[in-house]
Amino acid sequence: MVQEGSGVTLNGQEQLFLSLAEQLSRPLVQIAQLAELGTADDLETARLRWHMVQSVSHASLQLVESYALSLRVQGKVTPLSLEPITVSSLLYDTAQVLQPLARHYGVTLELDPGPRAQPILADRTVLQSAMTSLGQVFVMSQAEADEQAPVRLCAHRNRYGVVAGMYGNAPQLGADSLRRAQALKGRAREPLQRLVSGPAAGVFVADSLLRTLATHLHVARYRSLTGLATTLQPSHQLQLV
Amino acid sequence: MRVLLVEPDKIQAGSIVEALRRDGHKVEHAVSAQQAVHIADEQIPDVVVLELQMPRHNGVEFLYEFRSYPEWLRVPVIVYSYVPPRELIQSATLSTELGVVSMLYKPETSLAALCAAVRKVPSVAIS
Repeated sequence: MVQEGSGVTLNGQEQLFLSLAEQLSRPLVQIAQLAELGTADDLETARLRWHMVQSVSHASLQLVESYALSLRVQGKVTPLSLEPITVSSLLYDTAQVLQPLARHYGVTLELDPGPRAQPILADRTVLQSAMTSLGQVFVMSQAEADEQAPVRLCAHRNRYGVVAGMYGNAPQLGADSLRRAQALKGRAREPLQRLVSGPAAGVFVADSLLRTLATHLHVARYRSLTGLATTLQPSHQLQLV
Repeated sequence: MRVLLVEPDKIQAGSIVEALRRDGHKVEHAVSAQQAVHIADEQIPDVVVLELQMPRHNGVEFLYEFRSYPEWLRVPVIVYSYVPPRELIQSATLSTELGVVSMLYKPETSLAALCAAVRKVPSVAIS
């Protein structure tokens, strides 16, 4: 249990819901503003705004659905469905899903699947949802950075397995965002003087999904970029096949 | 009126800039506190519209820095933020020390209401 300013007590679950609510209010405000402006537009501008509304609402639904999926899998309402997956194809599909949102935020996505890696055994829907939630966080955060850099979806091998993740140069990404996300359960609300925007809920959802696959998010570096990634274990049995 | 909009979210910034321009204002947009200071340095705005939640620096820090320059002391600031009004009202320094003339909660404030708040900015502050 944590204490909030005037003595109101929030437990971990409530704190997480609050964070999700705060994160979801952003796209809803975006949609409301776009709709308000849309009443006096020419057809071309109206069409552009309609596409923005579509991708923003799609991203918000994805966050809600990913959170629901993590709870369903944790509660064994939805069983895991394991299948062989190549990480490069997973990253490619994630990039496809993220592309409309990235375009509206003016962020470039770059895909670097690395050298051909052994397949892994995982639930594709869960893993894809985790990477998409993470990717949305990176796209939105990268758009707020002073210096524009692409968001890179990368995979590389190290001695622990296949490291797959997202990288950028936004100051709020990396260790700080992961710490905020992991602290969502049992963290006091930030006092006013420390208000810095941070997409903790999205990172938390990605991490929750990965934990259902017995892995987790960790801070990672790729050349000069910081990021968040997960280490996946290649399946030696699949390699034999 | 020259409006300096400090808003990290580019989609929202696009909508706010459009609404304020339609209302007859000249708008400059900054995505960060650092950029806002740079823009204000070029030309003093008549009013600042500010989101308090920003990456790296927060809006309150920006306000303290902004008010530390004598030429920007009288520039009125409208807070247009996701920070709930109750949390803002508890911070009395925002209006007393930092010259915030209006605190608007984004989820409950339309673009029309924001434009109305900008139009209401005291003329004494602009002169």
